[in-house]
Amino acid sequence: MSAAAVAAPPRNDLLGWITTTDHKRIGILYLTTSLGYFFVAGALALVIRTQLAHPNATVVSAHAFAQLFTLHGTAMIFLFVAPFALGLANFLIPLQIGAPDMAFPRLNALSYWMFLFGGLVIFAGAATNEGAAAAGWTSYAPLATIKISTGLGQDLWIVGVFLVSVATIMTSINFITTVFVYRAPGMTMWRIPIFTWEMVATSLLVFMAFPALAADLLLLFVDRHLGGHAFDPAHGGNAILWQHLFWFFGHPEVYVMILPYFGVISEIIPVFSRKPIFGYTGLVISAFAIAGLSMGVWAHHMFTTGAVNNPFFSFVSFLIAVPTGVKFFNWIATMWRGSISFQTPMLFSLGFLMNFLLGGITGVMVASPPIDFQAQDSYFVVAHMHYVLGGGSLFAIFAALFFWWPKMFGVKLHERLGTWCFWLLFVGFNVTFFPMHLLGIDGMPRRVFTYASEGQLPALNLIATLGSYVMLAGVLVFCWNVVVSTLKREPVGADPWRANSLEWWTTSPPPEHNFDTLPPIRSERPVFDAHHPDVAARTPR
Amino acid sequence: MMIGLRLFISSAVFSIAIAIAYWLVAHEIVGTFLLAFMAFALTFVAGYMIVAEREADLYGDRDDAKVSDGAGELVGTFTTRSPLPIWTALAVTCIFLGLVVSPTLAGLGVIAALLLGAFFIVQSR
Repeated sequence: MSAAAVAAPPRNDLLGWITTTDHKRIGILYLTTSLGYFFVAGALALVIRTQLAHPNATVVSAHAFAQLFTLHGTAMIFLFVAPFALGLANFLIPLQIGAPDMAFPRLNALSYWMFLFGGLVIFAGAATNEGAAAAGWTSYAPLATIKISTGLGQDLWIVGVFLVSVATIMTSINFITTVFVYRAPGMTMWRIPIFTWEMVATSLLVFMAFPALAADLLLLFVDRHLGGHAFDPAHGGNAILWQHLFWFFGHPEVYVMILPYFGVISEIIPVFSRKPIFGYTGLVISAFAIAGLSMGVWAHHMFTTGAVNNPFFSFVSFLIAVPTGVKFFNWIATMWRGSISFQTPMLFSLGFLMNFLLGGITGVMVASPPIDFQAQDSYFVVAHMHYVLGGGSLFAIFAALFFWWPKMFGVKLHERLGTWCFWLLFVGFNVTFFPMHLLGIDGMPRRVFTYASEGQLPALNLIATLGSYVMLAGVLVFCWNVVVSTLKREPVGADPWRANSLEWWTTSPPPEHNFDTLPPIRSERPVFDAHHPDVAARTPR
Repeated sequence: MMIGLRLFISSAVFSIAIAIAYWLVAHEIVGTFLLAFMAFALTFVAGYMIVAEREADLYGDRDDAKVSDGAGELVGTFTTRSPLPIWTALAVTCIFLGLVVSPTLAGLGVIAALLLGAFFIVQSR
């Protein structure tokens, strides 16, 4: 560990970005690419909502609608929510642990490019004769087999998702190795920031769950092109094998999409409450408890098949509420009697808490088989899923953008525009997705391109569509904020939020080698300790 | 490193326990195999860390390590640029895309991968 090295001077042209292996640039590439996919997937969602604004609308055909919700779901899950966390972790992990870069910089860049190309391959399906994949983001076999989904779009979906999943596995190995081996002197595992801990738990989940997806996709490819019958019971296959393999990946994937954002919230709340995080150890243990339990709940998506052990999966699903409750308790206890300032990152964090709580409660509801039998494939499940991943992850994503933007680009985003962005998104989100609970209870099935003009369905759908356009306004305000803040260019110092963790020690943006100096690391708040040695001296370790 | 090792060992033990519990409760082969495979992967990593990394002594693991402990001799200049990642990603994408679109594309991907291999051999000499 006595070796040291210096970085070659950075190159700022296009070639410099294309060939970069610097974790910060790769992080920013991940973030911008995933946001690009988010804008596309969001536009698709607006078309979906426009079609559903009125009964019997003809904005798009039934087949086009199926392609729209398939691409929307695929892009949001595989290309936005999860990869955004990878981008954030790429930028932050080496900075938070005091390392000069990731353990495997070239593997890191390879992961990014495979993610980018994988996404483009998925969307390329839209340019084929029969259009993009239309079997939903879950692509259930036999719906996705060659007998039903004959188009090239489905093949491109398989290849694209495979590339993205391999890229994600490589990135997770990189994260684990970096955190275990490349921590600065004194940065013991019990001093690393909660976000980095959550990324270790997430990476472990990816390592365990994503190989099942890769295997599932290979089986589907063999079935479609090489005469396999893995999913065909008439030839000795298993009709629900796809579901088993897919959900063995798919439910942990939900936690891959939420654990990093638990980390984001755990970083932001203490800073804007002017208090240390409450229950550091409890937050770490609960992350791994959630990760472990999430590997044993996959078949709660399959209650209605009648072919799985419902009590087992229901029990384990209920158990996950316990460590999640610990996290909520710790976040609230951190804010308790704190000196809270309601700046934009904190507003989005509070929005996260409220939305995710509702998504979590409906999650506990559908973990009960009798309720799930009623809610399965209805808009109630759509509402639940969006409250977890939209109300939860999306709000944490905006919190992260506002919080770490100064560190990435050296300028703060405009505060008043940020507040507008928050309220438009918060109101728009709830107006869009809360009525979907009622639609589901009224029996509206998911993935239908039209519906009967009966009861509350037209009114609730219209409200949901109006809400989606309010969300669009929120996103546009964010884009305007980026333009205004970039043009104004008011530089910030190293630590504009008076924060705690090591990334706030170095300049904004950081130099290519990350740190010119490091403070002594004696707690999980080294920057706070360095700025307030009197308080640090009084704090028991 | 000890905490990392404990993390993998406890995850492996948990996976084995849940695989056994699932088999006893559900008698279902696909899920049991998946859980057992997960347990195997975690046990493999834990085993590797026990065998290969047990002697690891990292300044990052020491409570009282000073920042200067990590400093040392200068071993050279490292570059933060490389064309290999994007080249590799293009080759891999062409190979997999070629499987469903065109054998020619897959062939181009294989050629790109071979060139990459040749580059590595030349570079390593």
